[in-house]
Amino acid sequence: MGLAQILANGVVLGTLYACIAIGFSLVWGVLNVINMLHGSFIVLGGYLTYFAWAYTGVSPVLILPFVAAILFGLGYGLQYLFINKVVSAPVLTTLTLTFGLDMILYNLMTVWFTATPRRVSMDFGRLDFWGIAMPVDRLIGMGLALLLTALLFVVLRTSRIGRAIVAVRMDREAAALMGIKVNHIYAVTFGIAALMAGAAGSVFAMVFPVTTNLSGVFLGKAFVICVIGGLGGVSGALVGGLALGIIESFAGVLIGPQNAITVGFVLMLVLLIVRPQGLVGVKGYE
Amino acid sequence: MTPTKRIQAISAALAALALGTAASAEDVLKIGAPLALTGGLADEGHKQELVWKMWTDKVNAAGGIDVGGTKMKVEIVEYDYQTDGQRAGQLAEKLINDDEVDVLMAPFGSGHTKIVAAVAERYQIPLVACVASSTSVYDQGFKFLFGTLAPNTGMTEAMVAEFKAKMPDLGTVAIYGRDDVFPKSMATATSDSAKAAGLEVVYDELYPVGAIDHSAALSTIKSLEPDWIYMTGYTQDLILGRKQMQDLGIEAPIITMVTGPAYKEFTDGLGELADGVTSSTWWHHATGYTDVAGAWPSTDAFYQDFLEASGGEDPDYVHGSCAAALDVVADAASRAGTIEPVAMRDALAATDMETFYGPIKFGGNGMNQGREMPIIQVQGGEIKILYPENIANAGMTFLK
Amino acid sequence: MAKKSPWPLIAMALWLAALALTPVLLGNYEVRIAISIAMFTALALSWNIIGGFTGYPSFSTAAFYGIGCYVGALAQRSGVPAALAWLAAAAFVGGVSFVLGAIVLRLKGHYFAIGSIALVDISRLVVSSWGEVTGGGNGLNVPLLQGRPPEVSALVLYVMLGIVAAAFLANVITDRSRLGFGLRCIEQNEDAADMVGIDTTRYKIAAYVLSAVFPGAVGAVYASWVGYIDPTDSFDIVMTVQVPVMAMLGGAGTLLGPVVGAVAFTLLEEVFWANFLEWNRAIMGAIVVALIFFLPGGILKLDWRAILYRRPRRNAAERKAG
Repeated sequence: MGLAQILANGVVLGTLYACIAIGFSLVWGVLNVINMLHGSFIVLGGYLTYFAWAYTGVSPVLILPFVAAILFGLGYGLQYLFINKVVSAPVLTTLTLTFGLDMILYNLMTVWFTATPRRVSMDFGRLDFWGIAMPVDRLIGMGLALLLTALLFVVLRTSRIGRAIVAVRMDREAAALMGIKVNHIYAVTFGIAALMAGAAGSVFAMVFPVTTNLSGVFLGKAFVICVIGGLGGVSGALVGGLALGIIESFAGVLIGPQNAITVGFVLMLVLLIVRPQGLVGVKGYE
Repeated sequence: MTPTKRIQAISAALAALALGTAASAEDVLKIGAPLALTGGLADEGHKQELVWKMWTDKVNAAGGIDVGGTKMKVEIVEYDYQTDGQRAGQLAEKLINDDEVDVLMAPFGSGHTKIVAAVAERYQIPLVACVASSTSVYDQGFKFLFGTLAPNTGMTEAMVAEFKAKMPDLGTVAIYGRDDVFPKSMATATSDSAKAAGLEVVYDELYPVGAIDHSAALSTIKSLEPDWIYMTGYTQDLILGRKQMQDLGIEAPIITMVTGPAYKEFTDGLGELADGVTSSTWWHHATGYTDVAGAWPSTDAFYQDFLEASGGEDPDYVHGSCAAALDVVADAASRAGTIEPVAMRDALAATDMETFYGPIKFGGNGMNQGREMPIIQVQGGEIKILYPENIANAGMTFLK
Repeated sequence: MAKKSPWPLIAMALWLAALALTPVLLGNYEVRIAISIAMFTALALSWNIIGGFTGYPSFSTAAFYGIGCYVGALAQRSGVPAALAWLAAAAFVGGVSFVLGAIVLRLKGHYFAIGSIALVDISRLVVSSWGEVTGGGNGLNVPLLQGRPPEVSALVLYVMLGIVAAAFLANVITDRSRLGFGLRCIEQNEDAADMVGIDTTRYKIAAYVLSAVFPGAVGAVYASWVGYIDPTDSFDIVMTVQVPVMAMLGGAGTLLGPVVGAVAFTLLEEVFWANFLEWNRAIMGAIVVALIFFLPGGILKLDWRAILYRRPRRNAAERKAG
């Protein structure tokens, strides 16, 4: 099989992975919180998309903004009501808190949605070019993932709120002195992270079947991607996601699918030791 | 009511309750069941729960089962073990000690069955497993463990032979299985059966439990152009696998997914893409056993009852096997004339009966003896039976 | 250093004795709960050394426990007597944690937390894919402990209690030795500790190894008890978070905190799980959330006097006002 096909598989998967990790990276970078809820946010986004599609028949691409809006509200609320209260506590406290919240959300989802796998069955066929076979739904997913990433990048760079978020990430106290309402910015950041997770869920629902037990898998991917790419921005998640996608794709062919996931984790551990700021991360955020 | 009177009334009620349970405890056969009602295997757990309720309702409405001259009602005591293995063992112990059940039913899957089997063996309480088919569950020398599914190997050999007969130039097979008790053992068994039958196994790999994408493996398989692709896994893996085969333009005359089409969720999730996929299963409701023992006199009687209970959904092998497992327990209790565990165990070991699910006769290791297991194929959205001949209702179609 | 109070030791001895009496006084199921309590007490006490004293947010308990399960099971399958297999598992896990500690303890804060969680996943994946030795996803059958159920449960309980006692003693010795002093310095300010001449790397690795050997032993004993292990249940991410939660519930960094926390958590779980089938996970989550907000220092750090005497004091105030 051609190298081109393996690489293409990896790039497409990697873009989707990046979409998984961006929200997680943002929360870690700005709030200094390891958000254990992240995987369940993605699954929730996936289920909302599936059910909206199943009941209305509207294309998931059009459903995505609504799902994203709902997740933003949920994220903002959770941060404002709970996480803000302990946001400057040690990592053990915040990680445990989000884990507790995740247990609640996970339980709600298993009761509402059951464990039955759901799939948005819209088959767009595939494109064949340069000897590469590529499913159209993945290309759409990749396009959406890139679009969302670019949007977030622009928002962080140019909008008032985006600049406030960046300011808080750089120096919380100084930002507060400048009149930025730090708690509000934290909640907005967490909301945006949840929004990105929900949108990633929508994108995933178009490509993969959704089940609740995927939440742990997504969270694990987010860990690996953030460490590989590094924190401190959109670019880290993008680089980390692509790297993981391509590595898994080649490892799956060369040393067998059974060991492909292990390779990602081991690479992450190695990078943690030798380059904790990640491939493109800025030193100082660790 | 004055306080004193109220207390008197309550204690009278309590006394009645206590006496009532004491009296009925002697003519009730208590069956304990740790079930996965929440967590990853919740769908499977609910299937077991559904048919067991059907069975007890039917049998109790008819007066119960005859044990040594007295009519005994049957009661199922169930707890949710949340798809958590350690919890399953803990519950089995609770069922034996606190609820004093006479017989245990194993939960879904080979792994959790092993955990419960260790507890049952220690307490010498008979355990009937209706959804554990890996021989590794039964080869530990446990005396109190019985299983209504037949060994995997019988299934794979019959399938290889049948496909070779239908497609004489069948030469290569690619096998891709999930690294988990049942899917792994099916993949290994198929690999062995295929080699024994002279097929060339061109790809033979496992994927880990957390895999969410199969592009890498499927791209490799595509380049090998096998005649037959055999994939095992849970329903969500297989739905994704089939879709990705389509997306990547992989075509093979035969695509088998185990146990995909045996579950309704598979065909529901895939729609037209499911068409042509073959599989093997332990039981199908089209198998027409008649004049049999147990709660239902024929397969069709069970099927009709099931349609009513499920609101029109078709049963799968989990439903069939688990309902029949209770027939086996009732039959053993009748023959033993007592519900004393060791006598029950001996009676279970001597089981030789025909049920709506087919013949049940346990081998030395406690597993149901080999029997002809159906090979099925999705055709036009429906499950058709290709094998065995006597119940086949369609000819095999090829995907390429 | 000031002479430390003997009360924690006495309280612990009484509590161990009480648990040891369950096989005599109560039924098999209660003994099973006692075994669960003992298991989690040992795990929480072990975590306390690295997480409580040293303040490193370690989430690798499940990795040590799982490796212990597998080493014990493999040793027993190759004919090693059970007791030796358990010791071997503890020793092996100690060695593994020494090597891993030398690697991951260079990380701090969030990165250490993530690294320690990654160890659980990596261990699980390695065990899964190394099928020829570990059985992979098939899991492993472990020779059952011989004997009638009450005898086996009592044996398992006593062995677990032995591990609890050892883990507790490790805590006491750490607490009252130079090691504990050094670890507390690291917890307060690692750079400063380094500057005043504490060999932080050696201290941290010692704490990490101490936090690993007992979970290794617990895993091995658990494997012999249930007779079957598989990668998913042995390397469980929920357990890896549950154990620190227990220690924090009682009070991390104290001697009796992890003990109190493990008992409270296990019993709460038992009650909720028996009464709220569908919702028990959410309820446990709510408890975790409540713990963070209302009991940040753990049960033992509660100001009991303030709670108990609030009313009399207010009465006194009212009298004075009147």
